Amino acid sequence: MGLVSSASVLQTTSAPVVNRANPIAVGTIVWLGSEVMFFAGLFAIYFTLRGVAPELWEQETAILDVPYSLVNTIILVSSSFTCQFGVFAAERLQARATSWKPWNWGMVEWFYLTYALGAIFVAGQVLEYANLVSEGVTLSSNSYGSIFYMTTGFHGLHVTGGLIAFLLVIGRAYAVKNFGHREATSAIVVSYYWHFVDVVWIGLFAVIYLLK
Amino acid sequence: MRANYVVLLAVAAWCFLAGAVYIVWSLLDVGTVEWAGTTALLLTGVLAVFVAFFLWRSHRAQGGELPEDRLDANIDDGDPELGFFSPWSWWPIGLAASAALVFLGLAAGYWIAFVGVALFLVMIVGWVYEYYRGYFAR
Repeated sequence: MGLVSSASVLQTTSAPVVNRANPIAVGTIVWLGSEVMFFAGLFAIYFTLRGVAPELWEQETAILDVPYSLVNTIILVSSSFTCQFGVFAAERLQARATSWKPWNWGMVEWFYLTYALGAIFVAGQVLEYANLVSEGVTLSSNSYGSIFYMTTGFHGLHVTGGLIAFLLVIGRAYAVKNFGHREATSAIVVSYYWHFVDVVWIGLFAVIYLLK
Repeated sequence: MRANYVVLLAVAAWCFLAGAVYIVWSLLDVGTVEWAGTTALLLTGVLAVFVAFFLWRSHRAQGGELPEDRLDANIDDGDPELGFFSPWSWWPIGLAASAALVFLGLAAGYWIAFVGVALFLVMIVGWVYEYYRGYFAR
């Protein structure tokens, strides 16, 4: 018995401490890979329909309000930056602000700001949908309407899901006495998701609004 | 870990080589590039490089060899802090039921979806905060 225990003691003293990749971060990235394929499918539908009916696209894309959507895009892209500042705060395990100045903000304040920007984006999308429906572009009007609402709508649902995730992560920061690495990890993986949704929107904006 | 990424790099090299041969062969045979197969072969190589690059960076960042890569390691040397895993939980079942109700509502009658959303709010909060309340509060 003495031999067995001394052998394992030797192992622990000789084996170096190994930093494994965080399994939650890796799992999130793998899942986001499957999300990429989901949106790739939607892009494929868009290009296929457009290739089949170019004259329909010529007529329907003229209705789009590009400057309006550009402002909305800038709001969403800026939310990725505020989200990343929240992650930097989470990585130094700072949940709350130490003063009103933005460079002293904690994760919670940055994520509230991100939430507000994301909510403005979704509200802007709803307003844009209302305008387009009044112009006669609906989910069932024609193939352009279908794929327009399918792509931007699924993206909008993802943004909404991200908003719920931000609230849950903010709630975790309030729920614990000491903000630790577990809470920081959930903040980091939600930021991965948020950046992904943001990049998908940049792709959608370029394809739907710029490549008219 | 080194063997892992060397194998993946070999897979990538083979895919790039096969892709190049495929392009040349189809040019000689039919005079045009066959895009579906060419894209599939080259992107398979890119995917292998992705995973190889990730493993290479992980290997450099981990500051030593994993126990499973050492001939002198014991089984229990591979029991470091891998993360927190819930031993069991009822919440995901309720969460799945709420999602099922939402989709049932979309298909059969919108009022069911509202019940599903209400159930979802309860279940997602219960699941996310399961280890933040009661005995587990910290």
